[in-house]
Amino acid sequence: MIRSQRYWNPAVETMPHSEIRRLQLRKFQRIFKWTYDNSRFHRRLYDQAGVRPSDIHSFDDIRRIPCVEKSMMRSVQRKDPFPYGDPLAVPLEEVVEFRQTSGTTGQPVYQADTWQDWEWWAESWAYIMWAQGYRPKDRVFLPFGYNVFVAFWAAHYATEKLGAEIVPGGVLDTQARILKIQELQATAMMATPTYVLSMADTARQKMGIDPRELGIQRITCAGEPGASIPSTKQRMEEAWNAKVYDHAGATEIGAWCYECEEQSGGLHVNEAFFLVEIQDIETGEYIVEPGRRGKMIITALDRIGQPCVRFDSKDVIEWQEESCPWGRTFRLIKGGVIGRADDITKVKGVLLSPSAIEEVVRGVDGLGDEFEIIVDKVGDIDRISLKVEIDKGKEDQRTAIETELKDQLRLKTNLRYKLEFHDYGTLPRYEVKAKRFKDLRKGH
Amino acid sequence: MKSKNNLHEMDAKIQTLKKAAQELKDSSDDFPAVFRNCSRILASIKMLEINVSDLIQENRG
Repeated sequence: MIRSQRYWNPAVETMPHSEIRRLQLRKFQRIFKWTYDNSRFHRRLYDQAGVRPSDIHSFDDIRRIPCVEKSMMRSVQRKDPFPYGDPLAVPLEEVVEFRQTSGTTGQPVYQADTWQDWEWWAESWAYIMWAQGYRPKDRVFLPFGYNVFVAFWAAHYATEKLGAEIVPGGVLDTQARILKIQELQATAMMATPTYVLSMADTARQKMGIDPRELGIQRITCAGEPGASIPSTKQRMEEAWNAKVYDHAGATEIGAWCYECEEQSGGLHVNEAFFLVEIQDIETGEYIVEPGRRGKMIITALDRIGQPCVRFDSKDVIEWQEESCPWGRTFRLIKGGVIGRADDITKVKGVLLSPSAIEEVVRGVDGLGDEFEIIVDKVGDIDRISLKVEIDKGKEDQRTAIETELKDQLRLKTNLRYKLEFHDYGTLPRYEVKAKRFKDLRKGH
Repeated sequence: MKSKNNLHEMDAKIQTLKKAAQELKDSSDDFPAVFRNCSRILASIKMLEINVSDLIQENRG
């Protein structure tokens, strides 16, 4: 009976949204008080702003609480209690898990978790996996480096929690991982979109194995927006003959949103575990209605070791108008994480989102999966260079491919590009998070 | 959605579990195998509270 249950938690995932909001307010009040009482870093911040737990009675009150940014954490860490510094809200001996951010945007931030926090991580992933159809019969292969980065660690423990079988594919190269999937008849796996495509490419080009015949039925992605970019999702689903689902999470936050089996074009925010607010990047106004993009301010409502209260994530999102056809009442964000507030930049006076370019490149037949975007200046004029690869065997169609690419770029991004066509396999390959966007202009 | 009555019944059992685990932990500070396993059990019980008790309890800490 449990296997046919659609929801991991049928009580909260179908709760009327007004009740979810009341639950969020109660839980916010609780975590804010915990954080104020136990983290010296946060208490300083809130005292300076003149906000105390007894002041918080409504969502409007919550907006008076100052946000925390990653840069603030960097400056207070590597001090006692070492190495977390005074954001830590529990005695050091209660910390059982260390992770750190990737350092993509600067010095890595350390993250402490208690065992309760780690249970909570696995619990949030159990919501994701159950909603994406994982069940106890599944054999889940995790092809990632099990190390200091959180990546799919919590998915490992969630797989155990929901009763499926985990195959840790850590210190194996790509070919060995593919052979292990084949040998064990794994039914599911998880990876970044870049690596999902790269594995398929390796199987086909170097091993003569058709990834569609490996028996993988579902793939959960993280780390990049690709699984919510329709053309990239389609490439992955076709390459593996599998359903591909997106999810978003972060070391300092947790696994906060996920696509469900319905694949309705949006990702559910786990509103029982997180409070998501959206703020206009330019005006600071809070956005509550669907269809307007802003940056996400997020609170993890149950994380106690190193709390995440009103964290300015810089992720750009928007609420989706439509609700989930399956009846899950957690709100949806449209198209997942659209980009990063610090990646979306003005070029020639037009807002440029790397995700929009990815959507175009991955939608043009005859182009390989890899690409690179470089923004620089020629004199005072912005220039965007886009490097792409022609698929093997499609070289004779280059003129048609180039025309299609130019047309789609103009249509979808309203910008002109300096296009560079490279031989297949010559652009950099990435195994985890890809770095395909470079802004070389002064001040960027 | 599960009925509120059902959730209340579940919550009562969760609180019984929590009380027993906490009492066992409190009585075992010189017995690491019991003390540490109780800590982990209490963390799991917290997940039950998040999934059930929080939905019906207004002010439980």
